[in-house]
Amino acid sequence: MTRVAIVALNTFREAVRDRVLYNLIFFALLMISAAVLVGEISIGIERLVIVNLGLTAISVTGLVMAVFIGVSLVYKEMDKRTLYALLSKPVRRWEFLAGKFAGLLLTLAVNTALMTLGLIAALLYVTHTLAPADANLLVAVYFILLQLALVTGLALLFSCFSTPMLSTLFTLGIYLAGLFSADLRASGMSGNSRALELMTRALYYVLPNFSNYNAIHAAGHGRAIPFTLVWANTAYTVSYLLVILLAASAVFSSRDLK
Amino acid sequence: MRPEVRVAVPAIAALFLLLFTLQVRIDAITRNLPLQKEELLLRSARMLKKMSLGYDALLADLYWTRTVQYYGLKRLNDDPNFELLSPLLDLTTELDPQLVVAYKFGTVFLSEHPPAGAGRPDLAVQLTRRGIAANPEEWRFWADLGFVYYWYEKDYANAADAYLQGSRQPLAPIWMKAMAASISAQGGSYRTSYFLWSEIYQSTQDAEIRKNALKHLQTLRAEEDAQHLVEIGKQFFARFHRYPAFSRDLVSAGLLPAVPVDPAGYPYVFTPDGSVRLNPSSPITSEKISPPSKP
Repeated sequence: MTRVAIVALNTFREAVRDRVLYNLIFFALLMISAAVLVGEISIGIERLVIVNLGLTAISVTGLVMAVFIGVSLVYKEMDKRTLYALLSKPVRRWEFLAGKFAGLLLTLAVNTALMTLGLIAALLYVTHTLAPADANLLVAVYFILLQLALVTGLALLFSCFSTPMLSTLFTLGIYLAGLFSADLRASGMSGNSRALELMTRALYYVLPNFSNYNAIHAAGHGRAIPFTLVWANTAYTVSYLLVILLAASAVFSSRDLK
Repeated sequence: MRPEVRVAVPAIAALFLLLFTLQVRIDAITRNLPLQKEELLLRSARMLKKMSLGYDALLADLYWTRTVQYYGLKRLNDDPNFELLSPLLDLTTELDPQLVVAYKFGTVFLSEHPPAGAGRPDLAVQLTRRGIAANPEEWRFWADLGFVYYWYEKDYANAADAYLQGSRQPLAPIWMKAMAASISAQGGSYRTSYFLWSEIYQSTQDAEIRKNALKHLQTLRAEEDAQHLVEIGKQFFARFHRYPAFSRDLVSAGLLPAVPVDPAGYPYVFTPDGSVRLNPSSPITSEKISPPSKP
């Protein structure tokens, strides 16, 4: 476990050294301008715009980071040949992968936490007070983090056997397919082919269902998100991550790295 | 076979079984959430929702802002052509069926006569009915619907029905039921109209809507005043066998303590046939008591 933590910490340090967290400046500017301008150009939705814009920005920024950093996690180590030095030490391949994953997730979590603080500050500036319903915002942020964890896992899996360019395409492809998996199933059900229906239904359950994590609407309107959904989404994400990391570990351990 | 692969294959199979169970559970939970239901109610904006990649909430805000800008620009330019107003409102509310403010303001924007609005109360009724379907707990939508029927459509049966249905909502105020009874019994009346516009005036936070409500209140007050003055003019006629030429004639005759003025402070004008009109300089407008045309 210590070895995983060491790899994770180094991955986080590397991300910070690479100025990944500079995206926070963009986020801060976005929130400041939204907080100042929204009251001038719209009616009655100042809070809503800040929440929707803030959560969307957190999600998009996190997705971009998860995909583009995630796909190069393993590839970069192999390309620079630092992986060979690392694996010659008593570090198992799965530990290396788990550490890389945890490191990027830590980076994303820190980034998301700082953005959430910015969002809350902007919300306070606009509404001058926080209501109990604003706690749903934290649930929405948590769902975004779960989504980012899955995307990071996918990017890591593909980076074990493919180039960054192809891994990006694979990850984004799976992300989009997972976002619309319910529509995929519905289209299969509306056709006349039993085989197609079975296939789309199977895809619905096999693909990671990213629409599970969309809580931006609920947070914007201060609607309560049931606790059962929180735990179900958490269990779903943990289970799916285990699938991805097990698959990544199996693929990576089978690779001939000579 | 490597040990990692030996462990991974059965573990992944078992985990997919667990994932299947969890997804079925998540589907059951989200099916009961209001947001999921409303997405099925409004199918026409589905493509736009898909293209927004799940960020339809933000897209709805952008569309609402665009609607406000569109309406504001039309008002600023005194342009009575609001043909894009209804489609913009439809898209906004289909993207975010909970955006209460879009229904509320949209109803006013659509109902008001040009150049203040699109003059389409029929579209306002459709919009409000969709708002009710998407937000069944919002009693105010029923009040808005009743108001559109009452004031703009003069459809008193539907207006009374809307207020009655709204009065059955858990948080509805008691006056909703009284309004339903009053409209059923009397149809359109000064007292009802005055109450409804006062309610809008007091409940809105928006300066433009408030200004519009005040304008309607002043017009109602002027129309009511004019009716009273006609009656007093008849008393004047009974005594002097002619109608008063000026408002001050009524004061001289002791029928009024002071010269009657409209809510904007302008004296009313008497015509030779005994009817009462608004002063041509008054900013108040009314079709019923429009100022006498100049010779």
